[in-house]
Amino acid sequence: MRGIFPCIVAAVVAVVCALPAAAQTDIDHRIPPGYEPEQGPDEQGLWMEVEEYEKAIRRSALRVDDPDLNNYVAAIVCRVAAEYCRDFRVYLIRNPGFNASMTPTGVMQIWTGLLLRSGSSDEVAAVVGHEIAHYTRLHTLERLRSIKRNSAAGSIFDIGVAIVTGVSVPVGQLTALLSALSFSREQETEADFLGTRLVADAGYDPHAAYRIWRNVIAEEEAAEVKREQPGIFGATHPDAAERAAGLEAWITTTWGPREDFEPSVREHLDVLERSYLTLMEDQIDTNRFGRSEALLTRHADMGIDPALIHYYYGEMYRQRGAAGDEASAIDAYRRSLDTGRAPPEAFRNLGYLYLKSGEASQAAAHFRRYLEARPDATDRAMIEFYLEDMS
Amino acid sequence: MRSIRLCVAVAITALVAGLAGCATTGYSLVAPGVVGVGDLTLAPAAAWNRAPAMSTGYLRKGSEEWTKDGPLLDRLLLIGGVRDGETLFENPRKDAALPVYRAGMLANELEELTESSLAKQFGEGAAAVGTSGLRPQRFGEHRGVMFDLDVAVSDGPDYRGLAGAVVVDDRLYLLLYLAADPHYFDKHRAEAEALITSARLNASG
Repeated sequence: MRGIFPCIVAAVVAVVCALPAAAQTDIDHRIPPGYEPEQGPDEQGLWMEVEEYEKAIRRSALRVDDPDLNNYVAAIVCRVAAEYCRDFRVYLIRNPGFNASMTPTGVMQIWTGLLLRSGSSDEVAAVVGHEIAHYTRLHTLERLRSIKRNSAAGSIFDIGVAIVTGVSVPVGQLTALLSALSFSREQETEADFLGTRLVADAGYDPHAAYRIWRNVIAEEEAAEVKREQPGIFGATHPDAAERAAGLEAWITTTWGPREDFEPSVREHLDVLERSYLTLMEDQIDTNRFGRSEALLTRHADMGIDPALIHYYYGEMYRQRGAAGDEASAIDAYRRSLDTGRAPPEAFRNLGYLYLKSGEASQAAAHFRRYLEARPDATDRAMIEFYLEDMS
Repeated sequence: MRSIRLCVAVAITALVAGLAGCATTGYSLVAPGVVGVGDLTLAPAAAWNRAPAMSTGYLRKGSEEWTKDGPLLDRLLLIGGVRDGETLFENPRKDAALPVYRAGMLANELEELTESSLAKQFGEGAAAVGTSGLRPQRFGEHRGVMFDLDVAVSDGPDYRGLAGAVVVDDRLYLLLYLAADPHYFDKHRAEAEALITSARLNASG
């Protein structure tokens, strides 16, 4: 369903405007824990539709089955949700993009790209809190009713067409329509305020609420190919920056300066490092090298194992192939290998670079080291072919 | 709601245009024997169905899509003559950031190019593509490579695939077989592999 991407711009103006009025920041849950649909037949219909949608998510081949990652995310959700913990089913989805979403029935989807772009558990928690607030404020139902009020003709036809137009939702007419529409500015503002309070109440650093956006803004600035989503991240994206500034001011006033908090970085780094090869492989596959480079620079600053960082710098430079990248890639692979903890593929990919630059003996040496380190390599025939060809 | 109404109009137009197109164009038979696709000559041992151009807008000019049981279940993509700086597929989105073929790419780079291009083609973030089993493969007098593919899609069946790639005169020729797994991949695998390895270059090959 709708993710947090479309929230950014929508929320900014409202957040900034709302700041002087303290009462507007005091947002509370509208439903109790264990809530069942009781607002009317439209809500019950909505729940039925989403149940079908959830079945499709459950079957998705892109669901992450790694218990380590799942447990990490589920624990954050439960801690932020507090007494609402049992109302949520969390699905971690293999997708290098930055997103999380929530259905009105409590299905929360979190993309692996969100983990890559978070600097601490607090930042993951900030996004989770925002999504939980959408749920406990019944924002989807509100939105549905608002659409119905504003729709002149019966909307069933529109809903059908929304599917035809390629909205990529596997099942459900209602869910297809809803996913094509974003939350209102007021709803995003509410989710920011309530979400941040949930995060702070759970003992996380509330300042993470704007830090996560600044991470994404920095990455967008580094991007070689900008996203086309209208209005979200334009050339200057002042809205996103203003939103972050507005949140920072409000959070500092409410909970004190950021120096008073200690973000929980270590646990997040450990989780990232254990799954880094899978997570970064998907990122590299996006062919978005400016973004990948920005991520690697941040990860290096965060303290992720240099063996992994340098290996992926090597991958990024080698696959980008711009002027000077070949030498940078060779240097990066060497640094990774110097740690003694490099993935065996560092030998192979360095070997390919030497092969390309005509340094046959270096290429052969590294290919042999690769086959030693990875005796069951599925590309053994290819490597042996090159070894024979060079001899 | 204005954007939804606009979508309605666009969708109806597209639907009508699509239906009208279906009435006049359709799949054509690829008979067993010797078949030319651009610079490539192939020798299918059995019949395939060639997809009409209207349903293969994602393919480069001169490329073809063949299928046995329908393109959602199995398809063979015959992509020919990719030049330095060109992409494997067409994509109208300016922000798609498709990877490009570079003359002088080694076997591993052709494998990575295919992997990243396919991931984009299924929809960035909507599929995870993996490759394995990179190995040498001769196409007539030319040295090329083969490798295996596996694709996990967000809301569809898993796919497995087989790719053959050969570079002649700095131009890349890529033959891809992709089919739903289980069942369809194995059903046509032997035939698809024989067809891919039967590929020869007309001009200099």
